[in-house]
Amino acid sequence: MRWMGVGTQQLDFAEFYRSAADECLRAVLVSVGDQDTARELVDEAFARAWASWRTVSRHPAPKAWVVRTALNTGISRWRRRRREVPVPDPASLANPPAVSGASARLVDPRLMAAVMRLPARQRQVIALRLLLDLDTARTAEVLGIAPGTVMAHLGRAMAALRHDLAPELQQENRS
Amino acid sequence: MNDNELITAVRESVADVYTVTPVAHVISRGRAVRARRRIPGVVGTLAMAAGTALAVTTLLPSGHPGLLASGHPGSHPASAQLVAWTVARQVNGDIDITINQLQDPVGLQSTLRADGLPVTVSFSGPPLSASCQPDDTGRDVLSGVAHFHTSDGSAYLVINPSALPSGTGVSIFDEPGAGAPLPSPHMPRHGQGSGSTPPAGITGPLAVGLVYASQQCTG
Repeated sequence: MRWMGVGTQQLDFAEFYRSAADECLRAVLVSVGDQDTARELVDEAFARAWASWRTVSRHPAPKAWVVRTALNTGISRWRRRRREVPVPDPASLANPPAVSGASARLVDPRLMAAVMRLPARQRQVIALRLLLDLDTARTAEVLGIAPGTVMAHLGRAMAALRHDLAPELQQENRS
Repeated sequence: MNDNELITAVRESVADVYTVTPVAHVISRGRAVRARRRIPGVVGTLAMAAGTALAVTTLLPSGHPGLLASGHPGSHPASAQLVAWTVARQVNGDIDITINQLQDPVGLQSTLRADGLPVTVSFSGPPLSASCQPDDTGRDVLSGVAHFHTSDGSAYLVINPSALPSGTGVSIFDEPGAGAPLPSPHMPRHGQGSGSTPPAGITGPLAVGLVYASQQCTG
């Protein structure tokens, strides 16, 4: 007796989850800076991916779909919270906390601090281009911006990180 | 520090971060997402079902053997719709089944049998009763008999009765492993096993297979 059924989709999704979840989590973590938040957003995004698996499984870059969904979910939550709590003075965000919670135990705090000083869009470009390894065109599509803008953001982000990290790395090399 | 060193440093900075959420938990959460989305759809289905039931009552004589009107060649496709599932006979003889909820298996079985399909339907019970024997037919044959896909939480099954091998019937059942944790990735994929026990790896809520036709099993 041979069988086929909904279980096949479940296996396909499980395989995708196993192969993509860590990458997606790291990409979202680089974007949001907090590991607990990143985990929550990625879990929600994967749940939505399962709910729309027929569509997502045919997406040309399903990992990008998950990361984009996670980031959108984060923005939606932030907007809801913004109605409930006062928005902090932008000046106080000039030096945001590097990484909070359990993240500090698993990530390089110095590098994450440098990443978190980047503007949000540059962090998203870093996440998609460097951690998900998407090309410029796909990154532009996911973020809804022009490919040239992606390249500009990436260039500025790399320059800022290099500027932030180079002195410390040089000092490490000397010692 | 060149670009490659910087890229490597960024990647390594989060390389020790791993997901800890079991996939079964994500799927369970995804089902909740689907359920939230389906609430407006269910309302629409109820309204449509009420209208269709009314039409069937009006058009069919009392004591009709089933809600699924037998489709004579060339006749207009007849359909019967309930909340949990719908059945429609196409002019080419195919039977379209849409299952929205795993309810009223007896009603679905009766409806399908009334149209001449040898079938056994079981939801939330053993996949096969003691009177049913699985037919070890190849996957190609089964694929010719039944096409199966899902969308938005509903299962769609198209059965071609003319492709049924002689002496066989169809078994539609609620997979008992539904909701159980997924197997390890080393377990065989669906379609690689055969026998009365569904192969490891099939944990979906609904499945279809072929059985030997008999009065006790498929009517």
